[in-house]
Amino acid sequence: MTARPSTAAVRQIGPATGFFLVFFVVPLAILFAMSFWTQDGFERIPGFDLANYLKATTSRLYPAVLLRTILVGFVTAAIVVPVAYALAWLMRFTFERRGRLILGVVLISLFSGYLVRIYAWRTILGTEGLLNAALLQLGLISEPITALIFSPWAVMIVLVGLLLPLAVLPIWSAMTNVGRDHVEGARDLGATGLRLHRTIILPMVLPGVGTAFALSFVLAAGDFVVPTMVGGAQGGTMVGNLIANEFRGSGADWPMGAALAFVIMGLLVLVHLVTTRLLRVVTRW
Amino acid sequence: MRPARDDAGSAGGSRAGRIVAALFVAVVLLYLFAPVVVTVLFSLTTSPRLSLPIEGLTLDWYREAFANPIFTIALTNSLLLAAITALVSVGLGVPFAFGLLRLRGRTRGTLVTASLLPAAVPALVLGIALAVFFSGIGVAQGLPNAAIGHILVALPFVILTLNARLETFDLSCLEAARDLGASPWQTFRDITFPLIRPSVLGAALLAAALSLDEFVVTWFNVGNQQTLPVLIWGLLRRGIDPTVNALATVVLLSLTGLVLGAALIARRRA
Repeated sequence: MTARPSTAAVRQIGPATGFFLVFFVVPLAILFAMSFWTQDGFERIPGFDLANYLKATTSRLYPAVLLRTILVGFVTAAIVVPVAYALAWLMRFTFERRGRLILGVVLISLFSGYLVRIYAWRTILGTEGLLNAALLQLGLISEPITALIFSPWAVMIVLVGLLLPLAVLPIWSAMTNVGRDHVEGARDLGATGLRLHRTIILPMVLPGVGTAFALSFVLAAGDFVVPTMVGGAQGGTMVGNLIANEFRGSGADWPMGAALAFVIMGLLVLVHLVTTRLLRVVTRW
Repeated sequence: MRPARDDAGSAGGSRAGRIVAALFVAVVLLYLFAPVVVTVLFSLTTSPRLSLPIEGLTLDWYREAFANPIFTIALTNSLLLAAITALVSVGLGVPFAFGLLRLRGRTRGTLVTASLLPAAVPALVLGIALAVFFSGIGVAQGLPNAAIGHILVALPFVILTLNARLETFDLSCLEAARDLGASPWQTFRDITFPLIRPSVLGAALLAAALSLDEFVVTWFNVGNQQTLPVLIWGLLRRGIDPTVNALATVVLLSLTGLVLGAALIARRRA
């Protein structure tokens, strides 16, 4: 009886595991190996060379773009997570039954078309866009705000809208473990307002908050469509653009693109580790 | 229903607090849906330039979009990919979720986390890794490659939803069926499948929706084939084209239909 379930389990788990191994683990491993190759003209030369990584960290272009990517990703996540937290809290404890409906509506926006939402923001934020037109008509501004589009700000405005619904999910599911009695008990003991959240609620939902932060941070920093569409050539380029260009651009250099991909993923993991540590310290005060 | 208690854990508790809370939610929803409203609105207006006030309403952009021969190809390919993604990711995900049921807590937790990893890696990285892989084994870019990419994107979410729903599944009823002499196939057909059908259907619709909307992994692997998002991307790069809004609205309606369908099925079961 003990041996049979385990062989059955292996048989059932096998196909999906195999799929992940062949089409996820192996390709990533190959990509990693390729990041140590070099490229001469159109020829890729296998080998073990740190040149791409050196170029990524010391050239004039790459470090600035990497830093901007990290900053945009971090700020986006730092806006998305508190809003998602507030939303989850309100849905659970203020709107109660209607909370689930609100959650449903928020999640529907997740499936309203990735490209479409990005493109529509261009219509809203453009120099002749809806927002500028509205502000002009209201007399709040005398000429269009050009920084609304083709800037890191535009990239963050769009990313926040794309990632917020995704970040609500893990926080909401962590929040379902918080009971009304927890909240009332904490209130009776004198923890109210911000203190209630910092000392009682936040520690309880910390795993969810961590997941939400990591998801929004990684997905924001790894996006290349948003900076392509609303980032502009000047200040909005992110590392995703550079990586995409190395794979589909004219002067394609796969090894360099691969190295950039691993540099940004490494940096993301690093920043994430530091952030979760800090968050833990803050909630322990 | 319990009367609303003023101190019942709400943000402000008081009436004013509730109003502030409602306003906050309204602003967030406006932010999330503004792009959607803009797209649908401008797919129906006569003015080719996007501007207010709206001059008149028309269905011309839809007519023009559907008349584009590439649209039919892109739509067919997208639907094909969505169907394949739904079938394969459910075919792989259902046994996986059942296999998890037989495992102990720790192994199970590790496997669930591992299966979610592809969703935590940027689509860009998944896309280029697959492109490098296929080029390495000498497979030219095309729809099959894109299909693999779509399954890779959808499978973690299929496993996540199935795992959550199957947590309440009682394996002992399968043992009972076996003890009564049912073959594995009979057990599956008469007991297991009827019980899990709603969850499976919901997961399949979710997978189809993810596939229909997938652009990044597709773009790096599909070569010069078309899908709806690839077509939309091409039009966007060429400049202002109002048929984009019409195409986008078509995608939007299909996605909403699939997701609402999944939600309704999940609800009927509960």
